[in-house]
Amino acid sequence: MIQFEKVVKRFGPRTILKELTLHVPAGEILFILGTSGTGKSVLLKTLVGLLRPDEGEIWIDGQEVSKFSEIEYLGIRKKCGMVFQQPALFDSLTVFENVAFGLRRHYRLPEAEIVSRVHSSLAAVHLPDASEKMPGEISYGMQKRVSLARTLALRPQVLLFDEPTTGLDPITTASVNLLIEELSRQFSTTSIVVSHDMTCALSIADRIIMLDQGRIVEEGSPDHMKRSQVPLVKEFLAEVVT
Amino acid sequence: MIKGYAVLDFVGKSVMDSYQGVTQFIQLVVDSLAEGFRPPLRIRETVQQLYFIAVQSLPIILFCVCFAAMVTILESSFHMKLVIQNDSMVPGFAAMLILRELGAVVTALLVTSRVGAGIAAEVGTMKITEQIDALRMLGIRPIHYIVVPRLIASVIGLAILTIIANLVCLFVAFLVSEIYLGFTSGLFITGLVRFIHFQDLVFSIIKGACFGFVIPLVSCHFGFLCASGAEGVGLATTRSVVASSVIIIILDFVLSFVFSFFS
Repeated sequence: MIQFEKVVKRFGPRTILKELTLHVPAGEILFILGTSGTGKSVLLKTLVGLLRPDEGEIWIDGQEVSKFSEIEYLGIRKKCGMVFQQPALFDSLTVFENVAFGLRRHYRLPEAEIVSRVHSSLAAVHLPDASEKMPGEISYGMQKRVSLARTLALRPQVLLFDEPTTGLDPITTASVNLLIEELSRQFSTTSIVVSHDMTCALSIADRIIMLDQGRIVEEGSPDHMKRSQVPLVKEFLAEVVT
Repeated sequence: MIKGYAVLDFVGKSVMDSYQGVTQFIQLVVDSLAEGFRPPLRIRETVQQLYFIAVQSLPIILFCVCFAAMVTILESSFHMKLVIQNDSMVPGFAAMLILRELGAVVTALLVTSRVGAGIAAEVGTMKITEQIDALRMLGIRPIHYIVVPRLIASVIGLAILTIIANLVCLFVAFLVSEIYLGFTSGLFITGLVRFIHFQDLVFSIIKGACFGFVIPLVSCHFGFLCASGAEGVGLATTRSVVASSVIIIILDFVLSFVFSFFS
């Protein structure tokens, strides 16, 4: 489904991704863990063309996309929904309009279908009554869930989550994590979750990757990770125990 | 020796950064022009921006140009009396200065500080809160969605504001000349007719439209380059106002020079 082949991404003199090779089969929930600034978000943004790799190839559904133009990427972005680290809601639009925004742009759907999809997406993130509110009128956690609803409304084949629980309280974090699992299983989507949250990764991931300084230092199932002797993985696991 | 290298390094980096900045700005101008002709027309956003740029700027512009007009006519009178002991040409001279310079430039500088700063801060905030990335993910071209409506609204808005500012300036100049300097309305109008022509107003509108072209592009350019955090937004805003002001003054010289061939 998704394949990175020796992908290199540089920002000026700094190399963020160092010949990264990764394969994500369809339907998998993959967690990418690592310390801050190690290239996790860059990896996601490179996949959907928000950033372009300097070297290497990226394959999605049998297509090599790294040299795609902005117009060609539109098709890829229809398949891949991304929930950003920030809620990234449009301040001047209501919650309803935010969720309907991509639907109106990507698909020529009748208005009744748009309304129905928006309401079902908001219900899926447990916000059925927020549709007429402005982003500024709801809490940060609710904004993140609206952001998730906006992505879900497009019914993407691939869900990309960039630190979906950062800045949330433990209860909202747990509910968002549960939501990620439910939605991924319910719609059989391929999900890539960038996170610091080892607890969540161990409970819902099919596979976990540990990224350090632009390279994969460990990968495997949650059980494999629990037994890993890689120091960085052990540090993350220590956090879970404590 | 090390100091010499450090200076050389600093100069080299500055030149490279400036070159990169200019290249990116030119690319933004080209992309914005190309996107301006692509459907869909964002009429609602353009009208909203026109309201923000023109209508909401009007009170502050009118307030400021009134004082600018008063200063112009008083100073003109003072200097003419000082040099040629006669200020009979003041109405015409002041009117020419207002139409050729004051109306367009003061309006543009005020719009830069109010609207340009606002656009840079808005786009910068959109950048650091990943709204621009979200737009791209949702199939929206950011330049088409963000820059084009502001560009069209700013060109139209500045042209209209320049006309209004000129008319208000002339009216205030008329009041001052009649109340304070002792000119009759007949003398004032005779002076106007003798010195200024319709093309002066046209040149003024063209200047206003050109300044209106520059302000949103420079502001969006710095907004798109905004670094993360409140400091990044503040820096983008400051840079956009400074750069827009400098470009407006340089552009004013270039346009005045070009128009001088048609006068």
